[in-house]
Amino acid sequence: MTLVAGVLESTVRLATPLLLAAMGEIIAERSGVLNLGVEGMMLGGALTGFAAAVASGSLVVGFIAGTAIGAAMALLHAVLCVSFEADQVISGIMLTLLGVGLTTYFSQGWVGESIEGFRTITVPLLSEIPVVGAAFFSVTALDYLGLALVPFVWYLLFRTNVGREITAVGDDPETADTAGVPVYRIQYACVVLGGAFAGAGGAQLSLAFTNFWAPEMVAGRGWIAVALVIFAQWRIWRVLAGTYFFAAIDALSFRAAAVRDATLGVLDTPALESTVRFLLNPQVMNTYPYLLTIAVLWYVMRRGTLAELGAPSALLESYSRERD
Amino acid sequence: MSPTVEFERRDSLPRWLAYAAPLLTVLAALGIAAVPLVWIGVNPLVAYATVFVVQPSSIGGLADVLTTTLPLFLAGLAVYIPLKAGLWNVGAEGQLFVGAVVGSYVGLNADLPRPLLVPSMLIAATVVSALYGAIPGYLRAEHDVNEIISSLMLTFAATTFTGYLLRGPIQGSGGQTATDRLPEAAQLPTAFHPRLHVGVVALAVVGVFAYLLLSRTRFGYETTFAGSNPEAAAQAGISTYKVYVVVFVVGGCLAGLAGIIEVAGVHGRLFEDFSPQYGFTAIAVALLGRNGVLRVFLAAAFFGVLTAGGTTLAITQNVPTALIDVIVALTILCLLTAEFIKEYRIRLERGGSDPSAEGAA
Repeated sequence: MTLVAGVLESTVRLATPLLLAAMGEIIAERSGVLNLGVEGMMLGGALTGFAAAVASGSLVVGFIAGTAIGAAMALLHAVLCVSFEADQVISGIMLTLLGVGLTTYFSQGWVGESIEGFRTITVPLLSEIPVVGAAFFSVTALDYLGLALVPFVWYLLFRTNVGREITAVGDDPETADTAGVPVYRIQYACVVLGGAFAGAGGAQLSLAFTNFWAPEMVAGRGWIAVALVIFAQWRIWRVLAGTYFFAAIDALSFRAAAVRDATLGVLDTPALESTVRFLLNPQVMNTYPYLLTIAVLWYVMRRGTLAELGAPSALLESYSRERD
Repeated sequence: MSPTVEFERRDSLPRWLAYAAPLLTVLAALGIAAVPLVWIGVNPLVAYATVFVVQPSSIGGLADVLTTTLPLFLAGLAVYIPLKAGLWNVGAEGQLFVGAVVGSYVGLNADLPRPLLVPSMLIAATVVSALYGAIPGYLRAEHDVNEIISSLMLTFAATTFTGYLLRGPIQGSGGQTATDRLPEAAQLPTAFHPRLHVGVVALAVVGVFAYLLLSRTRFGYETTFAGSNPEAAAQAGISTYKVYVVVFVVGGCLAGLAGIIEVAGVHGRLFEDFSPQYGFTAIAVALLGRNGVLRVFLAAAFFGVLTAGGTTLAITQNVPTALIDVIVALTILCLLTAEFIKEYRIRLERGGSDPSAEGAA
């Protein structure tokens, strides 16, 4: 039982950066702009957040700075993809390379330093619920913030006029434009907001999870967030579920040895032992999110199209209004 | 009234711009990259002189440039050839890893004399990486699965799985996350200089092969046709299915070749960070060299000089090697901006209003 509670607790904390980044990516993609720069923006948020927190002595200032740098990097992507009609894939990969490069380049002064990060806030009573209580109600402010944003983003995207306009822009910008929807403005806003979420996710990593900065500390979480959006078929509640699923895999891989022994204890079939050992190896487990995403894509595309899967129809296409 | 920026679509591209664009792009990127250099107190002119003049003028430096250009050229072609068919292979890094793992495994375990061992390593590496590369091509051809996403996901699956292999099944005896050193017979021989392995002849061989494949064969014609107009190509009886699968097979094959040559020629053993993101720099290579195999080579050589010089800069002037990643990203950034400038003429005007801001709710 302590194993389950422990895994659950790390799942919740590991889920926050994924959740924030994936929600941001959904917002951007629903307006028709794919942003593969999530990894870079998260790294930017993690380093800037950490550096600003150390410099100012305030965690909140750090978190805001990390969020802002994510938004600023996304703005670059928006200029290239929306105004300059550049290839979204290339621009996004550029943004990741830029984020990895710049944060590694400028990180030297910060490596080895650590801070006292966001403290755990324990909700009385609720945190005493067995097993799930400590996991969900004894986490940091940023974890609560991530969870609280889920219904907010869902409401914004699926229950408001702005949300409908975003969907219209992502599905058919030409018609949306004719109907008077400010296509460019919406795409800019969604990409920048998405970047802010990714930056916030990165800042959570350095300010509330590791409490230090290390080059490439995001360690592929940005790419998993991109995968999550596809895995969740561009829907918020499925992203929440998918995030917990992927974060649970991550949490399990941290305790792979204990999980393996527990599984082998239950199974007790010598023939399966090497298979279980292989499948529950931490590195092998880290490939699951990627393989599962391909499997989901393959499974769904056998019957339908990406649009039926839930993808915005005009994703990856830059909208060009006759300008002269 | 505030000054506004207006964009006009160009009717035709001025001739000088078509030729000067790649060069101006690169110069712009190097110009912006001077900022982080100044930031850490390094004179950018001295740094660039080291990279572009001092480094390649010694035999050892030239050897490093050639051996770095090789994987960039091969991986660059692995992106460029599918791009000709209109597909993005952003998974060259993963295919490179697969080739390196398979080739190293054969090199460590097959007990063959050198004349047989090296070829079997190369063949095993290219065959398996071609199969791995074929997955996104097949998924795209058969089920219309987006090849960008699948090739990217397969890259991270491959690099992560390599991490597993290096901590378990193929881990060497030293206890590091690396294999044992390849036996002498499994390493590529060197010529002229101890760091110049004979694998660099692949620059010429593969270059000629790629040129002939794309411009002298029926397949090359079909690829270019399918890439420029898939519907018309299908009507003309060209199987886009075949094209999509084959370009990815060729791409995977070349990236895998780059991987095993890097291990057997440069490092002598496989470890986690054996590739300084060659597969991702390859995207910049293919973009910069979009108009022909020779240009892909020139782009690879540019990044090869940078990568090799970056190592020297790190040692002599204490510049973090991450500067190279920054320059690669900036080159892509300037390239995308240049594309736009090629398409549109930018005009600054006083007064008037921005058309895109009109019609707002």
